[in-house]
Amino acid sequence: MMASLSPAAAPARGRPETAAKRRAFDGLMTGVLWAAALAIIVLLGFFIGYLLYLGAPVMSWHFLTAPPSEVTAGGGVGPEIFNSFYILILTLLFTTPIATAGGIYLQEYARPGAFTTLVQFCAESLATIPSIVMGLFGLLIFVTYLHWSFTALGGALTLTILNLPALMRVTQEALQSVPNAFREGSMALGATKWQTIRRVVLPSAIAPLTTGIVLIAGRIFGETAALIFTAGTSVSAGRSAYDFSPFHQAETLSVHLWYTHSEGLVPDAAQVGNGSALVLLIMVLAFNIGARLLGHTLSRRLTGK
Amino acid sequence: MTTTMQSPPTAPAAEQQADVKMCVDDLNVFYGSFQAIKQASLRVPENNVMALIGPSGCGKTTFLRALNRMHDLVPGVKVEGQVTLDGEDIYAKDVDPVTVRHRIGMVFQRPNPFPKTIFENVVYGPKIHGVRGRKNLMEIAERSLHHAALWDEVKDRLDKSALELSGGQQQRLCIARVLAVEPEVILMDEPASALDPIATSKIEDLIGDLKKEYTVVIVTHSMQQAARISDYTAFFLMGELVETGNTRDIFFKPQDKRTEDYITGRYG
Repeated sequence: MMASLSPAAAPARGRPETAAKRRAFDGLMTGVLWAAALAIIVLLGFFIGYLLYLGAPVMSWHFLTAPPSEVTAGGGVGPEIFNSFYILILTLLFTTPIATAGGIYLQEYARPGAFTTLVQFCAESLATIPSIVMGLFGLLIFVTYLHWSFTALGGALTLTILNLPALMRVTQEALQSVPNAFREGSMALGATKWQTIRRVVLPSAIAPLTTGIVLIAGRIFGETAALIFTAGTSVSAGRSAYDFSPFHQAETLSVHLWYTHSEGLVPDAAQVGNGSALVLLIMVLAFNIGARLLGHTLSRRLTGK
Repeated sequence: MTTTMQSPPTAPAAEQQADVKMCVDDLNVFYGSFQAIKQASLRVPENNVMALIGPSGCGKTTFLRALNRMHDLVPGVKVEGQVTLDGEDIYAKDVDPVTVRHRIGMVFQRPNPFPKTIFENVVYGPKIHGVRGRKNLMEIAERSLHHAALWDEVKDRLDKSALELSGGQQQRLCIARVLAVEPEVILMDEPASALDPIATSKIEDLIGDLKKEYTVVIVTHSMQQAARISDYTAFFLMGELVETGNTRDIFFKPQDKRTEDYITGRYG
């Protein structure tokens, strides 16, 4: 016992390793972890590079704005880009209020109990439903039962159900990141619960909240399976390419990518696919980078830094 | 044990000189099944500083938080007994805890300014209570910051983030924030424990100043601090309010053996 207190005797307590051996192992582990981190960067870099190599030759103003072609070469993806944004905005319009309200309830108001557990359980179950199943559900409800046929609105509502749990989770986590001392400080000044949430908690949570919403926007933008059966696989033929009616077919960029590759008749399907993939990738990356910038700016503005 | 307690914890003779501002009778506080405060009764005299002392975990903070219904915010905490402010039961069914906290302000152990500007921090309370207009709010901000001895240090940077201030300045800002809503009682939970000695002495000077207009109840783990700043002292031990009285009496002629042991340093 007494001997083990002296530093010289310390290694004797563990396995008979020398200090040099342990240092070498430490170095090795650092290397392994560093390599894993590097692998992620290399993979992403390779992926982007390869898509650029394939897709860049297809890029042109014509490709980005022209309507798609059914049988001849030279079609563009203009309406698809428009539809992707249109469905995204519709979806966020439905999802954000419900999800943030639900998240606020769960995080700030709900006390542990049967109802809270039930809501959490439902949200988690909803989150695990594969998007293709959600697509079939949308097909049943919006397309068949309500007789809407394939519509932008049906697609957006399906995506709303699909993304509601994730966005609720994002809200909850954003609110969790707000120190309880802020809430107590506000309540101790005679503020009501709602005043506290509205004036202290939400402004403090705005950065993680917007970051989370924009990241989910990126996911909605790239969602495919749930839209094939609900928003359809063609743009509203014969009408203007930029069609604001929520009750018309609205093929998005990602659906177009899938469609040209699997069922497309155009001779330049591969090129159209590569081009669509590149546009999609750039958009989703833009969402991710935008999310960081926006979160940063907002938190600086709202916290008076 | 109780035989050594010659004066009951309620209303020793010295306290009768001042009007009673708050009155606690048979207070019990439970965290789930654990009883943190046992049958505590106390009179808080008006326009005085009362210190709550005792070793860590003795329940002094729990007791303090019962005085402005902060326990309402935490699930699983049960408060029993009576707490009155000017004779009104603050736990009565028809009393809104929000109104209670408007009249009884609180300063916390760690400075907790909101992540807003210095100005927005001070006028937060007045704003939620309906004060409008930049001129009115500016007046309140200046008065409160003056009162909290912070004005000269921040007057040129009211629109800077409160988080840029030092710890001691942040705590004085939190005091200014409480003063801005003009409460009648200010509760302080070890307000200087996270601060350096210079910042601490500024806070202590400020507390001495505050009792002219407010009733102050302060939790402190430092007996020297209690001796320096308080008029009355209450000693807690293991959830029990052992002894209360004039600070001089508590320190120089404690009635209870346990108080004496604590004062003379026989507990940690």
